[in-house]
Amino acid sequence: MEFYDNGGDHPMTPEQGEVVISLKNVSKQYSREAPAVSHVNFEVREGEFVFITGETGSGKSTLLKMIMRELEPTSGSVNVLGYNLNRISHSRIPKFRRNLGVVFQDFRLLTDRNVYENVAFAQRIIEVPSQKIRRNVTQMLDMVGMADKYKRNVTKLSGGEQQRVALARALVNKPYILLADEPTGNLDAETAWEIMQLIEQANRVYGTTVVVVTHDRTIVERMHRRVIEMKQGEIIRDNPLEDLDNNEEQMLENDYQMVQDVDADDYGYYEN
Amino acid sequence: MKIKAFFYSLGQGIKNMFRNKGYTLASIATIASCLFLFGLFYAVITNFSNMLHSAEQNVQITVFFNEGTTENQISQLQIDLKERPEVKDVTYISGDQAWKDFVKENLTEEDAQTFTENPLASSENLEVTLADVSQQDSLVSFIEDNYDYVRQVNRSDVTADALTGANRLIGYISAVIIAILFVVSIFLISNTVATGIINHKDEIEIMKYIGATDFFVRAPYVFEGMLIGLVGSLVPLVVLYVLYGRAITWILEKFPILSNILSFVSRGVIFSRLIPIILILGVGIGFIGSTMTIRKHLHV
Repeated sequence: MEFYDNGGDHPMTPEQGEVVISLKNVSKQYSREAPAVSHVNFEVREGEFVFITGETGSGKSTLLKMIMRELEPTSGSVNVLGYNLNRISHSRIPKFRRNLGVVFQDFRLLTDRNVYENVAFAQRIIEVPSQKIRRNVTQMLDMVGMADKYKRNVTKLSGGEQQRVALARALVNKPYILLADEPTGNLDAETAWEIMQLIEQANRVYGTTVVVVTHDRTIVERMHRRVIEMKQGEIIRDNPLEDLDNNEEQMLENDYQMVQDVDADDYGYYEN
Repeated sequence: MKIKAFFYSLGQGIKNMFRNKGYTLASIATIASCLFLFGLFYAVITNFSNMLHSAEQNVQITVFFNEGTTENQISQLQIDLKERPEVKDVTYISGDQAWKDFVKENLTEEDAQTFTENPLASSENLEVTLADVSQQDSLVSFIEDNYDYVRQVNRSDVTADALTGANRLIGYISAVIIAILFVVSIFLISNTVATGIINHKDEIEIMKYIGATDFFVRAPYVFEGMLIGLVGSLVPLVVLYVLYGRAITWILEKFPILSNILSFVSRGVIFSRLIPIILILGVGIGFIGSTMTIRKHLHV
């Protein structure tokens, strides 16, 4: 897998287990009131699947916005994929973001376009040739189970279907990191689980590093992944994957079997 | 800019126009109105200037001489005047010619025959046509101060001052009106593009998250503004082209007497200048309006 662009400060091609997200002593204060994020330290390695949980106002979304460089930290350093986000120039931010895929609670689809156009939009922005766009978008819609509805306007889709399209759009540019901000917040439990399965599939099959911000404890407990829990801007728990017991690991194996029918060659990342 | 990116942005610009049909039409109508008025002013002013210029061509001063002035002295003055840059032409009118002209304009042949002698025998003169009307005073002073055999110089002060004054006044008024119209146009197109940006807020935000460059985000809106300006300039050009020819025909048919007084500038001459001016203005207004708005509203 290759970066779309390696023009960052210290761009890197992450290898298995390498640190791709690093936050050191990061704080963010919006006003004179208590900081939204306070002295946060954590690292995420290539291929990891991490939940950031916590109550509303605990600072988890702020943390995600700093990772995607929508916000700058008040203090501390944020490094993502070798880019020092404290010092990244404005002109390099687009290049940096091409390595990320982002999914939101409210889907943020273009309501005046159909399913295909919404996913193709992401490829057009980074100027992928038309023929490759057709192939890549078709593959991605197939992966999220929306290939048969590619002509449908997104306003005519259910919430779950809209989030599938949003996920396809986030993944079609083969990002190294997938950032999801409450991706199941607007969905019923069953649909939420289906979406999480797709996100996990991206993590397992493509090796995409995944960071999911959620307050849905059911999902977190069911997925058996690393959990960073926040409260009042501070990390109060960080359970690495190694801490999971054998029983949980077996459950993970079972989940993995569920997606074995997905042919990695068919859905694998493609050349640009 | 890559060709693909150029055409993509152009395509998005066109799509933006159709997505905001109401605002786009309002903008086009406004720009078209402004440029129509500009074109109208331009056509009227060009014709008026042309008429003033023609009138200026006919401003003459007449130099009369004392009795006993020799032909050599008159010829010398004629030569001296012709060498001056503000003088376009100098014509010698003899006493006989002056009488003939007077008779032709004011008397019948029968009345003329009642005169046994030429009453204008001593009215031989030089008719001086000016190239620059504003220099009339200094030319008159020059003649009166340097040629003592000159009896009198008749000038056309009122005409000269009025013409140069009117020319300037029309120029100032039209410049102010056109400037106001352009400011209004820029403001309106800026509002249209701003509306488009607000309507596409989600799309712009998604583009930012996906990693679109500033240029890629901004270009469609710049194209949208320029295209609105282009369409907004083509409409008045077509309307003015049709109207101009018809208006002249109508005026000359309705008021045939004016054909002797007025000389209209041809449609070809007017539009050879008006087409590039209006196109540049239209597209320029679109560019300025959209660029201003993008700087203000589109923080990518």
